[in-house]
Amino acid sequence: MKKLISAVLVLSMVLGLAACGSSKGTANNPDSNKTSSTSADFNKEVTEVVATENNFEDLVSLRGKLDPTSEEIDKVNNTLNDTYLGDVFDTKIPNDYSKYPYKEDVTLDVWMPSNAILASVCSDINDHYVFNKVEELTGIKLNFIVPALGEESTAFNLMTAGGQLHDIIIDAGYYPGGIAAGVNEGAYIALNDVIEEYMPNYNAWRNSDEDRRKTTMTDDGTLGAVYGIAPYNEWCWFGLLIKQEALDKTGLPVPETIDEWHEFLLKCKEVGYNEPLNYGSTYGQIFTGCLNGAYGVWDWMYVDENGKAAWGPAAPKAKEYLQMMQTWYSEGLLNTDWPTADFNQRMAEAVSDDCAAMMDSPDTMWGYWKTGDKDIDFVGVLNPVLNKGDKPQQTYKNFKSTGTTAAVTTTCKNVEAACAFLDFAFTKKGWELYNYGEYGNVHKIDEKGLPYFTKDGLMYNDPDNQPLSNLIWKYRIHSFANIRDEHNSNPLITAEGSYSGAIRDYWTSNMDDSVTMPPVTLTSEESAREAELGTILSTMRNEYFSKIIMGQLPVDAYDEFLEKAKAQGLDEFVGLWQAGLDRYNAR
Amino acid sequence: MKKEKKTHVTMAMVRKDLKKNRFAYLLLIPVIVWYIVFCYGPMWGVLLAFKDYKPLLGFTKSKWAGFRFFKEYLAGPYFFRTVKNTLMLNVWGLALGFTAPIFLSLLLNEVRRMRFKKVVQTVTYMPHFISLVVICGMIHIFTQNGGIVTELVNAITGKEYSSLLGYAGMFRPIYTISGIWQNVGWDSIIYLSAMSSIDPGLYEAADIDGAGRLQKMIHITLPQIRPTITILFIFAVGGLMASGHEKIILLYNSLTYDTADVIATYVYRRGIREASYSFATAVGLMSSVVNFGLLWFTNKVAKKYSDISVF
Repeated sequence: MKKLISAVLVLSMVLGLAACGSSKGTANNPDSNKTSSTSADFNKEVTEVVATENNFEDLVSLRGKLDPTSEEIDKVNNTLNDTYLGDVFDTKIPNDYSKYPYKEDVTLDVWMPSNAILASVCSDINDHYVFNKVEELTGIKLNFIVPALGEESTAFNLMTAGGQLHDIIIDAGYYPGGIAAGVNEGAYIALNDVIEEYMPNYNAWRNSDEDRRKTTMTDDGTLGAVYGIAPYNEWCWFGLLIKQEALDKTGLPVPETIDEWHEFLLKCKEVGYNEPLNYGSTYGQIFTGCLNGAYGVWDWMYVDENGKAAWGPAAPKAKEYLQMMQTWYSEGLLNTDWPTADFNQRMAEAVSDDCAAMMDSPDTMWGYWKTGDKDIDFVGVLNPVLNKGDKPQQTYKNFKSTGTTAAVTTTCKNVEAACAFLDFAFTKKGWELYNYGEYGNVHKIDEKGLPYFTKDGLMYNDPDNQPLSNLIWKYRIHSFANIRDEHNSNPLITAEGSYSGAIRDYWTSNMDDSVTMPPVTLTSEESAREAELGTILSTMRNEYFSKIIMGQLPVDAYDEFLEKAKAQGLDEFVGLWQAGLDRYNAR
Repeated sequence: MKKEKKTHVTMAMVRKDLKKNRFAYLLLIPVIVWYIVFCYGPMWGVLLAFKDYKPLLGFTKSKWAGFRFFKEYLAGPYFFRTVKNTLMLNVWGLALGFTAPIFLSLLLNEVRRMRFKKVVQTVTYMPHFISLVVICGMIHIFTQNGGIVTELVNAITGKEYSSLLGYAGMFRPIYTISGIWQNVGWDSIIYLSAMSSIDPGLYEAADIDGAGRLQKMIHITLPQIRPTITILFIFAVGGLMASGHEKIILLYNSLTYDTADVIATYVYRRGIREASYSFATAVGLMSSVVNFGLLWFTNKVAKKYSDISVF
């Protein structure tokens, strides 16, 4: 029995890892076209959210200035003056600082999970530059309690079982059943009554846009937590990449349809690529829909053309998709060990001369193909379609929600102060501080009033020689319940010379993401049932799909699969999601 | 009357022994405390299996769920498969993994050259100290397309397997044989130590009677370590329904669910979607009960036929 309980505990570790992986996925993204091109794609209108009069000395002269005086640096770092920051996004970032410095002396206990990167660059979050600055500027003292790495779920449950929760919980989703359950069961307070008074900046920012409003509350309108909200939809980070040399050798253009891909891969095989396509899944579907998306056989739940929830593996063209994959595999177009290969094996194949095309994050591949002794140039390719001219689709969309949440607990000793601390992250000054860290040594301000990491600054010249992928947590806070400005403030994206950010931008802006299932919430009972059915269905899907593609089962075995899935409650499963989707749409 | 007297005498002996060896018994206290705190103390926690446990509500306030979680598992489509796989992997382990260390220790016992014996022992221990993740990484490399084991299997069978871990039929052999590789040296220690306490007089007497090496092995060494083997066997049978999920998780994939998906891995995948403590406890309780039954049964059989038993 202990083993099984520990199995559940181990899973929490894996969850932690998965979370790490995904944040890394969205993190490692260098980009060539820096800064503000991003802002153009968002909302057309500039929304005036808060018109606050702050009587600050005018520091607009700092925009574009390369050599600020120590006095100016001091003013930027140690006062709330934000006049040098521009309104670079279509939505104006609020700047109501009336709460700071906070009226009374207070220390808040903040429970915050760490991650491998943060732990490697900062041994104690209490000493992190950004949080120390936040303490100074807000006048609220913080005491971070960090659970052991990989033990977050256990630590969280021990804390709740003890009945005494810390004032603020970062990553509030650790509550079993989610944030809504946390509020219903009395762990977190609903912020509805206090948000207007205590959190004017967050309130303005989340109400500035329909996506932001919808994704930051539960179905019944409860504000169970403060959500990290981005100024824009963050770029898709996973997709098809082709080695430039493979295009040159085959002499073919970048393939757009499934047939063109087939032709391209066959040609690759001819010119010497033994396993031309490195398939990025171990079960036969890709979560963003590369290949399977062409047939509408989405990885998991999606929204169909009628706006209804549907399960990808049961889509009408599933057999055509499986037939295609089985053929490709039997023709030797995929890497033979795709269902068993671990990450290192995949990467080893990717850098070898056998591989012509890859499915992964351009940031990751930049690391494997363009650094060290490798110099393999590559291009990003849109997901293929069935008929030439169709709009490619994909299912990665973050709905401007960054994934990090912060809840104020029912045992919080000073709710107003907790709100004031969290609210600071949604001010202009907070946007600068959390995303770009210290002024002067780390970043400066460009002509438009957008901060950027200077070439000779600490970010690109770390005295400890830490890799850039670690520095995302050293001089700045990579992810928090804040306004996360990933595209402009992730040094991996803005670093000179790399084009992986451009690829992600290209994918995101040229593919339709309307089939993506929005972040719906399920009730406690629904989610228990969903977990049960979901495990059964995913086990079934993984098994049948991978066996069919490998040729261990005929394509017709799909009928048996669908029958079994229905017998096990597929309709009920879809119904749960439909109910969640209906409530989401009604928010 | 007689029995009472006997207990009386035993009690007196125990008391005397306690007094005489009090410091030795003092050393036992931490072990007893460990058992009470970590094994017996938390036992009431099995009640979680019958509750819909929510950490914040705590143990008492969480709602009763009755047999819901038991039913959920028993009625699910993967109940039989996971139980079968758990049993099969353990039966394989019992047949091969349990006997291999006995063989190794018998062979080592015959080696007269100390240097050679030491080298063999060190080499066979080594994998035991390597992290499981690294071991599984090595297994992946050996069994990948063109890997050394794959090539070997292809040469022997004349078939063309690509990556061995992609075939359901290959999982049990890979799992079991790699298990032997990992543990054979370590597990043979206990038999070697049992052998070292065999009275040399027995061998000398056999020598005089003209027994050869093989005969001595079969008629002296084996019978002498039989109690050790029996006890370990009883425990091994008692673990038939348990499974080391970590290694399976590192080795299995959707192509090998057929043979590799065991109770623990299924609960683990289920748990990824939700921290379902109650479900995990219910399944764990079920396998513990079955394990206990098996242990009790084997013990009974062993007692009947060999007089050696755990209790």
